[in-house]
Amino acid sequence: MSGNARRERLTPDQFRAVVSSVLRTGVVTAAALTTVGFALSLLVGWNGSLLGAAPTASAPTDFSQLGPGLLALRPVAFAQAGLLVLLATPVLRVATSVAGFWLEGDRLYVAITLAVLAVLLGSIFLVH
Amino acid sequence: MTLGADGAIFAISILAGLIGALAGVGGGILIVPTLTLLFGIDIRLAIGASIVSVIATSSGAAAAYVRDRMTDMRVGMFLELATTTGAVVGALLAAIVAQAFLYILLGLVLLGSALMQVLRLGEEMPPEVEPSGLAARLRLASSYPDARLGREVPYAARRVPLGFVLMWGAGLVSGLLGIGSGALKVVAMDGAMRLPMKVSSATSNFMIGVTAAASAGIYLGRGDVDPTLVAPVALGVLAGAMLGARLLPRLANRQVRWIFLPVLVVIGIQTLLRGFGVGA
Repeated sequence: MSGNARRERLTPDQFRAVVSSVLRTGVVTAAALTTVGFALSLLVGWNGSLLGAAPTASAPTDFSQLGPGLLALRPVAFAQAGLLVLLATPVLRVATSVAGFWLEGDRLYVAITLAVLAVLLGSIFLVH
Repeated sequence: MTLGADGAIFAISILAGLIGALAGVGGGILIVPTLTLLFGIDIRLAIGASIVSVIATSSGAAAAYVRDRMTDMRVGMFLELATTTGAVVGALLAAIVAQAFLYILLGLVLLGSALMQVLRLGEEMPPEVEPSGLAARLRLASSYPDARLGREVPYAARRVPLGFVLMWGAGLVSGLLGIGSGALKVVAMDGAMRLPMKVSSATSNFMIGVTAAASAGIYLGRGDVDPTLVAPVALGVLAGAMLGARLLPRLANRQVRWIFLPVLVVIGIQTLLRGFGVGA
């Protein structure tokens, strides 16, 4: 198709299939975690615990209690985990594209996608 | 939230995801007013939820759009270079720029684009052109399978520098105002670069997730994203977006324009009103 195509180890169709399945996996995982959290919240409330631990006092917007919350099987922690997976999915998609363009032999787009990934990670990192 | 309220939010979110997937926008137009006006939720948390809905619309629809070759990944990645850098500059300038003036300006741009969109309402396909030197070098020419027409449709991006500058502007206002700016992205790809409407919509959809992800960290850090509020929004939007992604390939480009135009007008009016301090 174009002069800058080098040794192709991944066909465009395979590339699309990989990106598509990264997106689907991210979305399905996020939806599953969120659904579990929502269903459990009907049983013990968002801040409760399936293991019977005392209700957590931390706000649902506080993600620092994610690990302990998951260990205590708190519904709010499942919802938080689902949300983080959802937010990470576009970033993973860009990262996958870097590898995809590389295997497709399109160096120009490896550079473009790496630049996007750098700006994206920079903007997320700059905040903290 | 009661179970009934969660159910209502879930149902409206399905609609938001469906419209968002078809029109290439994030669905914030429905989510924010629903949460604030109908359920009295704080505007800060409503905007946090709408950022999540943008990402859910994008990723939920893109899985199918990428597989079905509705999204042009090269056009998307190339233009994301413009939107992400624009968004960072916008975020850095946000503190020193008058937001009211920007909302008014953006509202006028969107309503102006709506007028242009009216002129193109009957257009099924942009005129076929040979890719320019720049479009060829950047490989911004491809084809997509049109299920409606039953054939492979070739296309080439025109006015690449103008498209890039417009996308940079779309990224800039995203960063400045904390909005997804999907409508502007569709306008840039359809109006300036003259890509087929369905490709413009699907590629905008693909891109808005990355723009939103770039600012989601800010909202998360500020405590503006409540996972218990967002749960029914995210689940509903995902379901709606997946449904929309199955629908788009079968629609005519003309029908997609009829969906996009009212969305554009509503976003334009909402944006303008926000500039005058009215509404969410």
